[in-house]
Amino acid sequence: MLTQMHIRGLMFDPYTNAYIVILRDESNTEMLPIWVGKPEASAISFAMEGITTPRPMTHDLMKVILDTAEAKVISVVVTDLKDNTYYAKIHLSYEDSEYSIDARPSDAIALAMRSKAPVFVNDNVIRKNNSEDMDRWLENLKPEDFGKYDA
Amino acid sequence: MESTLVKLTVQGVMPDAIPNSESQVVILQDESKTNTLPIWVGVAEGTAIRLALESVVPPRPLSHDLIRNLTEQLGLKISKVVVTDVKNNTYYASIYLRSKESDTQSELTVDARPSDAIALALRTSSPIYVTQEVLDHLAPENVDPWLKMLGSKEFGGTV
Repeated sequence: MLTQMHIRGLMFDPYTNAYIVILRDESNTEMLPIWVGKPEASAISFAMEGITTPRPMTHDLMKVILDTAEAKVISVVVTDLKDNTYYAKIHLSYEDSEYSIDARPSDAIALAMRSKAPVFVNDNVIRKNNSEDMDRWLENLKPEDFGKYDA
Repeated sequence: MESTLVKLTVQGVMPDAIPNSESQVVILQDESKTNTLPIWVGVAEGTAIRLALESVVPPRPLSHDLIRNLTEQLGLKISKVVVTDVKNNTYYASIYLRSKESDTQSELTVDARPSDAIALALRTSSPIYVTQEVLDHLAPENVDPWLKMLGSKEFGGTV
């Protein structure tokens, strides 16, 4: 089963020196934090805040290549969590065929946001998502962190 | 009008000469080593280029690996990348794509930053070119320090 999720926030995790993208479902009952690197975090934050850069950034280029070839991003799916690594697939349609391509969730999300494509998460991933991890960083969240980038 | 293209190869990526600069410099040269083109890139793009130069295969596809995988799976071939222009110290590049069925007449062109174009060219073994105009606009004072570094021991080391 897949649950559609929305990008609800982006924050800095001082423990891992990385950024966390927060996905939530429509009803706010499920939440998924995904740790991403700095360049991917900035790619996601530009899309969240609707910032356009004078020159195309890497994920803009990704989108422009697909647009130019007339390939369409149908959806992206966070498919799996193994050894603390999340896996995603980008589903594309191109010339009457469908393709699914392996990607890091950070790249997949950055592309989905630019292509206005929906983001889904496999329910296995939501279940596997370790509650200890969640507690650890939830404890450190201040209310203002949370609303900061709320879309 | 088609401008004259000069083929370049990436010689390496090095830290910017300015202390504490966030930039890195990609050094490209033509075959005869008479033309040297330094291009300033961000840390992420510099890393993407260095990994390709060192043939490092990361456990998960990084952003430029993903672009390569996307184009390969759709049957799009990157035929070349060209550094086309420089305006106000910003370099411009084009990526040329060809679909499997199409002939050379129907090549697609996509505007890109040279850093992304180079990172992609290295992953797809595509040739990198620069227009003669861009080379003509290079100021020697911008190139000479890098030529010196090319000859020094510091060059080639990882940042």
